[in-house]
Amino acid sequence: MTDIPSGSGAVARTTMDKVHGSLARRHRKQLILQIFGITAISLAFLMLFILLASLITTGHKAFTQTEITLEVFIDPEEISVERLPRGNFTNVLAAAVAADLPSVDQQDRAEMRVVGGILSNGAQFQLRDRVVEEPELIGQTITISVPVSDPYDQLHKDLLDRETPENLRRLDDTQIAYYDRLVENGAIAASLNTGLLTNADSRFPELAGLKGAIMGSFWALLTCFLISFPLGIGAAIYLEEFAPKNKLSDFIEVNINNLAAVPSVVFGLLALSVFIGLFGLPRSAPFVGGLTLALMTMPTIIIATRAALKAVPPSIREAALGLGASKQQVVFGHVVPLAMPGILTGTIIGLAQALGETAPLLLIGMNAFITSAPATPFDSATALPTQIFIWADSPERGFVSRTSAAILVLLTFLIMMNAIAIYLRSKFERKW
Amino acid sequence: MDALRTVTRDIDTNSTKISARGVQVHYGDTHAIKDVDVDIKERSVTAFIGPSGCGKSTFLRCINRMNDTIDICRVTGDIRIDGDDIYDRSIDPVQLRARVGMVFQKPNPFPKSIYDNVAYGPKIHGLARSRAEMDEIVERSLRRGAIWDEVKDRLHAPGTGLSGGQQQRLCIARAVATDPEVLLMDEPCSALDPIATAQIEELIDTLREKYTVVIVTHSMQQAARVSQKTAFFHLGNLVEYGDTDDIFTNPKDRRTESYISGRIG
Repeated sequence: MTDIPSGSGAVARTTMDKVHGSLARRHRKQLILQIFGITAISLAFLMLFILLASLITTGHKAFTQTEITLEVFIDPEEISVERLPRGNFTNVLAAAVAADLPSVDQQDRAEMRVVGGILSNGAQFQLRDRVVEEPELIGQTITISVPVSDPYDQLHKDLLDRETPENLRRLDDTQIAYYDRLVENGAIAASLNTGLLTNADSRFPELAGLKGAIMGSFWALLTCFLISFPLGIGAAIYLEEFAPKNKLSDFIEVNINNLAAVPSVVFGLLALSVFIGLFGLPRSAPFVGGLTLALMTMPTIIIATRAALKAVPPSIREAALGLGASKQQVVFGHVVPLAMPGILTGTIIGLAQALGETAPLLLIGMNAFITSAPATPFDSATALPTQIFIWADSPERGFVSRTSAAILVLLTFLIMMNAIAIYLRSKFERKW
Repeated sequence: MDALRTVTRDIDTNSTKISARGVQVHYGDTHAIKDVDVDIKERSVTAFIGPSGCGKSTFLRCINRMNDTIDICRVTGDIRIDGDDIYDRSIDPVQLRARVGMVFQKPNPFPKSIYDNVAYGPKIHGLARSRAEMDEIVERSLRRGAIWDEVKDRLHAPGTGLSGGQQQRLCIARAVATDPEVLLMDEPCSALDPIATAQIEELIDTLREKYTVVIVTHSMQQAARVSQKTAFFHLGNLVEYGDTDDIFTNPKDRRTESYISGRIG
């Protein structure tokens, strides 16, 4: 190698030298790529962390509810068996609270109204339901826990600042004194807020729950699944396995791909004019919501199913065809079962997307104020994302933490669905 | 080439099983098979040899109409099995493939149990009336595939868990389970090691007692070892067809001679 003509440095460069020289550059490039990748992933995790942290810090307070435990004397003068379910339950409750507050003059109606305001507006209905169930309680004294109203709930959760001047505060000094006295007596305590999942929506934040929204989302997703799953898979199998490859099938394919990219609000407008306007289906019904979501989910399912069908190795088709299986036997006996994990994964991801979809549901009226959970898919209801939208829009302070709590509930459902998808994929993964 | 001979080859009968006349195959604009005439004898092993892309596999797949599944493929000409035109409109390819089994280049067992793999063909054609009858068919087929002794204790284990050579013998067992008359083999040993290859070759030699075997192979030694008749394909033409002995020892065409002596291929 000594006779290699040398340039300025007069250093003979062998192949190994050149390789060695390029190594540093190649390693550097790889390092840069790694740094980019790690930075991107860290940023993504940081964002996720910030999102969850902010949701949890504001939302966790909604998972407890401040309640007051009262010894209630069910006064036969106020409540009588004959007049049930009517009766002056508010007065009975206010009297029970006043009994814990010696300074209150029970004859002063204005003062008694303030005392009654410590309790949630729903407290009287809780007591009424209990008495209607067991009328023999009239004349007795019972112990009952009822939610306190929103301002007192906020005060108990340290969301109401006592330092604010009295005229700017939602509770004046007397009310705070009542509260402090009740806390001293041990009547007020925070407990797990099961109402968040078991109550329907309410004007009063302390009573508002997600049952209506969860049931609405459930009916809508069930409708969506029952329509989009068979239709989507049927369309995908036909297009992938049976349709002749020509201009028409190319055209259909392009359009399905386009459909998957159409903004969801457009589907909402379509549903409004066709399902509600033309077919006269009920407004705000989860069934209509499900139909709308099915329109959006179908392209996703078709695309995922076709990809899963394409991924089945041709050798399996050939093996079955070679044994004399008909096309239909090959497709339904071999190809579809082998593609099933991919199909299910695609479907669940499509449904998870549908669960979080808001805009089309707003357009078909699933953001109405409805205080009972839907019993059928044709009853008016909200869905989880639209309930979040309604609560985020509500002025009451108590809805701030409930909005975050509702988002956390929605995210929990989404994570569960995606976890099922991952589980199915790993469980049915096959090796050829 | 005498050194390659391990099997004495006598053609058992002289009747023609498959006869092809003027077969042409087009893939889109490509003319893959050009005017092939060939007569394949019953209960013998016929080898198709030739360089890659010469059309030997394409021609093999014409015999059970597997080319029908390729949209752009067009087959013309006349192929008869026992005198029946297999491209006749009255012939259903599904029925034809029950009569003409096929073994593929890569072992392709279904991701099911060994038993279900073998039972699949008889099941779809309704060949077994009872569970016991099916058990019998499965056992007989696995014995014919020379794999019974290795798998009889684990019939319900997945077929994909076997070794490559075992998988290919399972595929042969699966193909013979429908009791075909003709067995087509498309380079059945190309994915296997020498020991598995030797086992398959031995099996092919026993299969010809019952079936008409047509095998496509890249290996001239394999053709010489297992076949009685050899057809040499080149660029879509059937260049030479005759007794394996003659093709290897006394080729008539210059291209055949070049190929078997390693100059083209």
